[in-house]
Amino acid sequence: MSELAALQQAFGAAIASIDKAAETAAIFRAGPDAALARLAVYRGNVVGACSKALAGAYPIVAKIVGESFFEGLAREYLRRFPSTSGDLNEFGASLAPFVARFEHTRDLPYLPDVARMEWLAHRMYYASDEPEAGLRLAPRIHLSARFALLTSPWPLARIWEVHQDDYEGEFSVDFEAGPECILVYRPRFRVLVGTLSAGSYRFLERARAGAPVATALEAALVAEPGFDLGAALAAWIGAGVIVNAEEEK
Amino acid sequence: MNTVGVGLRAVHYEDFLACKRDAGWLEVHSENYFGAGGYDLHVLRRLRADYPISAHGVGLALGSAAPETGAHVAKLKRLVDAIEPALVSEHLCWGRGFGRHFNDLLPLPYTQEALALMAARVSALQEALGRRILIENVSSYLEYRASDIPEGEFIAELSRRSGCGVLLDVNNLYVNQLNNGTDALATMSAIARESVAEIHLAGHLVAPHCVVDTHGDRVAEPVWALYNAALERFGMVATLIEWDTDIPPLEVLLDEARRARALQAEACCV
Repeated sequence: MSELAALQQAFGAAIASIDKAAETAAIFRAGPDAALARLAVYRGNVVGACSKALAGAYPIVAKIVGESFFEGLAREYLRRFPSTSGDLNEFGASLAPFVARFEHTRDLPYLPDVARMEWLAHRMYYASDEPEAGLRLAPRIHLSARFALLTSPWPLARIWEVHQDDYEGEFSVDFEAGPECILVYRPRFRVLVGTLSAGSYRFLERARAGAPVATALEAALVAEPGFDLGAALAAWIGAGVIVNAEEEK
Repeated sequence: MNTVGVGLRAVHYEDFLACKRDAGWLEVHSENYFGAGGYDLHVLRRLRADYPISAHGVGLALGSAAPETGAHVAKLKRLVDAIEPALVSEHLCWGRGFGRHFNDLLPLPYTQEALALMAARVSALQEALGRRILIENVSSYLEYRASDIPEGEFIAELSRRSGCGVLLDVNNLYVNQLNNGTDALATMSAIARESVAEIHLAGHLVAPHCVVDTHGDRVAEPVWALYNAALERFGMVATLIEWDTDIPPLEVLLDEARRARALQAEACCV
């Protein structure tokens, strides 16, 4: 290993774990105590930046568990799933499986699905404004890149709604409401979450996978015999789920 | 772009969209606009019609010994091609390796090995983007025993070898002077006059064990004094007011920008 790589490895190890700091302190000119204190500043910066990014991507998870608990959760998440990108907006992709196994959130069984929904919302926030190339339902009707699908036994759309900053209604969620098909979508710039009928969900799922309209419709009708494609298309245009490719250009 | 700009942060989007503000140009953190679409890019496209834009990267960690994957450069190129910024800059630092990214601007040892690596990475980046970039000196809380090149000489030689410009962060020079005893004026005098294309000004925090580069306060008085010295040495250079934590109302940033502009005006009339 080159000298540069060795120095970076020692520095990195001391940031990742306080246990390695004493060993690393010797590569710096500062005395051992000062070096340890300043390594702690770097460690704090790294944890702080990642926690802030995680809280930004998962505001509802953060509200549900509370700010100080979320700080500890973020620290533990960072330890197990360190950031791998120089773009912090990519940090946090594994929070759902992490909280599913995290012993301190076991009493919140819906938390992994809330995290799953928020990660989709986070991705949709940055999704392309352009229609998905190649995913067209009809000559001018394309699927957009600005929607994601999710199913859950928990009432995610309601959980999303009551946690919005501008929500003014009653803060209540019926956790017995039954399973839901969820649409995470972005009509223009704000990400929204709504529910889909079984037929709508199946249709969009198949269409996004590249199935022809007839096949997607067949699947939708199996899931929901009364599925009305015309009404659904009208709703999806308003939601930005499908777009008129020529109009967008 | 020989004026004073401010860092564009999301909390001030509405202020900038509402009407033209008294800022000569705007600088963004490139990574915040790496998305394929969405609101941030929309705002940036709108504002680039009214202000020159500077794309300031914080995530490439160019001096990392670990090999580069190219993914980050590709996203930066997409942004640069879409926005055509007036300036593109990155940092003199490392931050990646051993399967992870530290998302921090970690200082490099100033050695021939680090210099050769930085020069190669900066040259490759300039080639990939098809344009000259600026490299910024970072604040540092620790100095390596292995460093055997003074910071100013390291930066000057990096600029000579790669042809990159220098983004001189005056606050970082001051922070390093307090933390490590590096002479800020000596660092400035080692850097070629014509290589400095941008100056950064920001606030810092005097913490118990060291001075931390928080970008969370007004520019400190000694840093204004150093800025004056920088203007004397480098002449009129595009200057940025940076603020990243506890971001105040836009008016406070514009106030700092006015002070920088007044100093520029004084310096160029002497």
